Amino acid sequence: MIRSATPETTARSRRRPFRSEKAAAAGIGLFLIVFALACLFPFWLMVINSFAVAKSLALHGYAVFPSGFTLQSYRFLLQGKQLFLSYGVTASATVLGTAAGLAVTALFAYVLAHPKNRYGGFLSFMTYVPMIFGSGLVGFYLLVVRWLHLKDTLWALVLPYVMNPFYAFIFVSFYRSLPYELNESATVDGANEWVVFFKIIRPISTPVIATIGLFYALQYWNDWWLSLLFIDNSDLYPLQLLLRQLMSQMDLASLNHGNVLTLPPSEGVKLATVCLTIGPIIFVYPFIQKYFVKGLTLGSVKG
Amino acid sequence: MNNLLKDAIKQRYLYSMAVPGIVFLVVFSYIPLAGHVLAFKNFQISRGIWGSSWAGWNNFRFFFSGRDWIQVTVNTVILNALFIVFEMAFALLIALFLNEIRLKWFKRTVQSVVFLPYFISWVVVGYMAFVLFNNTDGLVNHALRSVGLRDVDWYQTPWVWPFILTVTRIWKNAGYLSIILLAAIAGLSVDYYESARLDGATRFQQMRFITLPLLKPQLIILVLLGVGRIFYGDFGMIYGIVGDNGILFPTTDVIDTYSYRALRQLGDFSMSSAIVLYQSVMGLAAVISFNAIVRRIDKDSRLF
Repeated sequence: MIRSATPETTARSRRRPFRSEKAAAAGIGLFLIVFALACLFPFWLMVINSFAVAKSLALHGYAVFPSGFTLQSYRFLLQGKQLFLSYGVTASATVLGTAAGLAVTALFAYVLAHPKNRYGGFLSFMTYVPMIFGSGLVGFYLLVVRWLHLKDTLWALVLPYVMNPFYAFIFVSFYRSLPYELNESATVDGANEWVVFFKIIRPISTPVIATIGLFYALQYWNDWWLSLLFIDNSDLYPLQLLLRQLMSQMDLASLNHGNVLTLPPSEGVKLATVCLTIGPIIFVYPFIQKYFVKGLTLGSVKG
Repeated sequence: MNNLLKDAIKQRYLYSMAVPGIVFLVVFSYIPLAGHVLAFKNFQISRGIWGSSWAGWNNFRFFFSGRDWIQVTVNTVILNALFIVFEMAFALLIALFLNEIRLKWFKRTVQSVVFLPYFISWVVVGYMAFVLFNNTDGLVNHALRSVGLRDVDWYQTPWVWPFILTVTRIWKNAGYLSIILLAAIAGLSVDYYESARLDGATRFQQMRFITLPLLKPQLIILVLLGVGRIFYGDFGMIYGIVGDNGILFPTTDVIDTYSYRALRQLGDFSMSSAIVLYQSVMGLAAVISFNAIVRRIDKDSRLF
C-alpha cells in the first residue's frame, strides 16, 4: 500500500457515491426512529392518562391525548397510607438486598479468583450447578415458609437473591484482570487477606461494584416473585405487588385503609401507581445508564 | 488430604471470606433440592417431608396421564423459541444500524431510549399491555373502530397471544441485547473495514460480509444460552401479562406458571414437585445437549 488509508482518501477512491446508499441511510435512520418511538409510546400512555380526568377515561378510555388535566388520582394515592408503606418496603428491600448482595458476592468472588485458593475448582463447580439444575419451586417455598419462618417478613424479600452466581462470575473475571503483584506486595508486608481486600482491592474495583450494585438494585426494585410467594399482609406489599393486586381488581378501599370518601376512577389510580412505581427509575436512569452499559460489556468479554 | 487441611488453616483468612457466600448458596440453592423428594410422596403439611407417605411414581403418572403436560411443555418451548429468534433478530438489526450512525447525539439518544424498557418490571409491562389491548377501553380497539374495523376481544382470543408476547419481549429486551452486540462490534478490528472500503465495498456489503460473519460467535453463544434454558418459562413475564386468565392458557400457560398454580392455588405440593422435577430434568438434558453442540461449533465457548 503506497498511500495511507485515511477516511477522506478512501471516500474519494469510491467510484461514486451510490444513490442507493443514501436511501439505505435514510431507511436505517427511519427504522431506528420508529423503534425508539415505539419504546417510548407505552410510557407516554401511562403518564399522560394518569393525569386524565375521570370523565375522559370513562367516556373515551385510554387516549394518546386525553382531554383535561387533574391530579385527583395522585391526591387519592397520597392521602392513603398504602403507597407510603409500599414505598418503604420496596426501598428497604432494595437497600438491604443491594448492600448484602454486594458484600457477599464480592468477597466470595475474591476467594474464587484468588490464585492461592486450592478449592477454586470445587467452589466454582458448586456455584455453577444451581445455574444449570433448577433447585425447584416447592423446596424453595418450604424452605422459606416452614424452615426459616420468613413468611410475611421483609427478609423473605431480601435474602433469597443475596448470592447471585452470575454476578459472582462477573466479579471473578474482573479480579482476574488485576495484576497479582498488587496483593502480593501487601501480603509480604504481613497484611492478612481481609486487609488486602479492603485496603487495596475494594478501592480499585469501584466501577465494577457500581455496576453490579445497580443490577442488584434493579432486581430488588422490580421483583414481585418473592412477594407473590411470601407476602400476604398488605402492610408489607412492595410497590410491584401493590400494583399487581390493583390490577387484579382488588378492592381499592380496603387497600387504602378505609379512605373511601372520594373514590376516583380505579383506572386513574392504577395509572398513577404505575407512574409512581417507575418514576424513580426514570429519574435516575440518565445518570446510571452508562454503568449498565459498562457492566454488560464487562460480562460479554467472557462470553 | 492432610495438605489440604494444612492449607485451609494457613489460608484461613482467605477462606473465611467465602463463608457467607457458601452459606447463602447452600441454604437457598442446595437445601431446596430436597423438595424434589416430594415428587415421590403424598405430601401432607402436618406430617412434613419425611413423615408423609411414599407415592412412588403416582404423581408423575397423574401428571402424564392428563393432557396439560403436553400443552405446557409445547407452549414453553414454542414461546421461548419465538422469543430467542425474534429478540435476537431485532437486537442484531438495531446494533448493526446503530453502528452505521455517524451522528453522535442521535446514536446516543436512540441507544438510551431502546434500553429504557429493560428497566421496567413485568407487572408494569402487563399493565401497559392491558391499556393497549383491553376489550372496551383499549387503544388498539379504539384505533380499529376509528378506521371502521370490528374490534377484537384480545383477552378472549388465545391464538394472538404468542405474537403479542413476542412483540412485548422484543420491546423489552431487544435494546438491551443490542447493547451487548454493539459492544462486540466496537471490538472488531478496523483493518477489515479499511481494506474493504479501498475495494469499494458499500456500507451494506461491509455489514453483510464483514460485521455479520465476525459477530457469529457472539450470536451463537447468546442464542444457545437461550436454548439451554428453553424449558424454563419466563414466569414474571407470563404471569405479569396473562395472570390467571384461563381463556388464554391454551397458548400462554408455561411449565412455570402451571407449577406455580399447582402450589399456590391448589396447594398440591407433591404435584407441583413432580412438574418441577420434570422441568429440571428436561432443562438439564437441554443444557447437556446444548453444550455438546457448542463444543462442536466453537470449543472455547463450551460450558464444561
